[in-house]
Amino acid sequence: MPPSILLLLPALALSAVVFLAPFLWLASTSFRTQAEGSLLLADGLSLDNYIRLFADPFFVEVLLRTLAYSVVTTAVSLVVALPVARFIVVRAGRFKGILLALMLVPLVSGALLPSLGMLHLMGPLGVVNGASRLMGLPTVKLLGTPAGILIGLVQSFLPLMVLPLVNTLARLPNDLEQAAASLGAPAAAVWRRVILPLAMPGVVAGSVLVFCATFTSFVTPQILGQGHIATFGTVAYQQAGQVLDWPFASALAMVALAMIGLLQAAITVGSRFARRREARQ
Amino acid sequence: MSDNRLSRAAAAGLAATMLVTAGLPAFAQDFKGKTLVVGTWGGDIERLLRQNAAEPLEKETGAKVEFVLGGSGDRMARIYAEKANPTMDVAFVNIYEAPQALKDGMVEAPDPEAPYFKDVWDGMNNGCYAMSLVGLGIAYNKKLVSTPPEWADMWKPEFKGKIALSSYPGSEGDGVLGVAARLAGKDEHDPDAAFGKLKELTPIAMTYTNLDEIFAMMDAGEVAMAPMISGYVLAALKTHPDIGFSFPKEPGPVLVRDMLCLVKNSPEPELAKKFVALALGVKNQTDYAEQLYFGPTNKNVKLSPEVSADVIDTPDEVKGLLQLDWPYVISQRSDWTQRWNKEILGQ
Repeated sequence: MPPSILLLLPALALSAVVFLAPFLWLASTSFRTQAEGSLLLADGLSLDNYIRLFADPFFVEVLLRTLAYSVVTTAVSLVVALPVARFIVVRAGRFKGILLALMLVPLVSGALLPSLGMLHLMGPLGVVNGASRLMGLPTVKLLGTPAGILIGLVQSFLPLMVLPLVNTLARLPNDLEQAAASLGAPAAAVWRRVILPLAMPGVVAGSVLVFCATFTSFVTPQILGQGHIATFGTVAYQQAGQVLDWPFASALAMVALAMIGLLQAAITVGSRFARRREARQ
Repeated sequence: MSDNRLSRAAAAGLAATMLVTAGLPAFAQDFKGKTLVVGTWGGDIERLLRQNAAEPLEKETGAKVEFVLGGSGDRMARIYAEKANPTMDVAFVNIYEAPQALKDGMVEAPDPEAPYFKDVWDGMNNGCYAMSLVGLGIAYNKKLVSTPPEWADMWKPEFKGKIALSSYPGSEGDGVLGVAARLAGKDEHDPDAAFGKLKELTPIAMTYTNLDEIFAMMDAGEVAMAPMISGYVLAALKTHPDIGFSFPKEPGPVLVRDMLCLVKNSPEPELAKKFVALALGVKNQTDYAEQLYFGPTNKNVKLSPEVSADVIDTPDEVKGLLQLDWPYVISQRSDWTQRWNKEILGQ
């Protein structure tokens, strides 16, 4: 055995125990069922959980809704993150470190604290509506609405978009845009034809991260949705933590995982295709 | 010193040592280094259990008591997952989870011969030991609702859109469904009647998950009434003069219980039983009533009239409670969750 594999063994063993084994357990549980009137897993494997998931329009609707939230959150994050990332790279100068550290705060503080903060910002008596009331303006219902959840999701996962973008943009040579500008390209064209294509790896990486994080998110939709809006994460929680239907909750988790796997596969194929097309041009 | 005297001194010393050793309480040795694992809710419940059960137990036995905090769903998942090799000794669960756990062989059946079993109101130890009694009643905004409301008042047209409900599944939701079914002339065995009646309350003003949130909305006049479980609510109301709590009469408040379970084949069954005796004991149950407004299950608890007014603590009060067919309700959980998602919350 080559020594490099020997060195990897501890990490592999740890992953097998803390990641692979629970995952396999989850996967196998999703094919089990609970006997009538019992919470114990019955013998035998079945596809019942998956059939129920795709046969009940409620769960299909939840799946589509969660996909829609993921797409919108990714798009909004991208639009917001691009200028932020660009500012950090080009203008921030010696404040770059501080700004990056600030960006990281929501990531390291977990999902719960920011969501609770948002609760106080967006509540009917919160900062936003309280200020509106004081000024005699109409109030907006944010909690328990898709808009409220989307604001919370973008706030939570924006750093996942900004950081890869900062990474890619920082590697672009400064003089590229100047070269483009000196050749007569207006600012918009510089963005569209020079910066964006070169930042594509960052855009893709950030989008995948935000999409996956949104698709599997639970705390933010649970808190900001006020129980009104079911997403994949909240339904899985409801089944696992409250209904105590662990097999069905496992099936929900497996489907979420499959969606993420599909996305990953699509992106791999897509980027290979794009590279081939580039090579041909 | 002669040999004889020496040996006599040695014998005396030996005897003294033996006496001292024998005089030490045997149990203090038995449980040294052992740990009792107790799963319960955090906050005030943990505080009282620590103070009235864990600390005396540690002092008496030399064992350590470790609390694992979380919701009862977490604990159910844990004892089911660990059924071959349990690591939790005592688990606090809800009224509807205890019979299920007993049926599935996860917990020890309550022992009718145990003194703490006999101290509890007759017929209350279903599945596990009954820990406390609370009832689902109505919290209401006193400015919008002038007298303590009955259940039917929630359906009055002037309160349309101003009724809040808790998240489902949960005892509150099941209780409201039981009440709605009865107002429709049926009971919880007719889910169509229950959901049909409850649906008349939609749109729901909010789904509350914590008391601060719902009380703020009530104080602001956005919510007129919300079915809530007595206990914490009554404790919290002391700081909300404009919010009242009503125990309705037709039907009466829905009985909800916290249950205390001994996990089957747990590592420390003896310690667990000692813990149960302390948790169900008069001191802890009195503190539960006085501080948390949780009604005692121990018949020997004597409460002052002021505390007694806010808690369910007499046989008559217990008789007036609406008792749901929990095993049936649990068997419907999955379907009802779907119906709640679609019919009560659906946009």
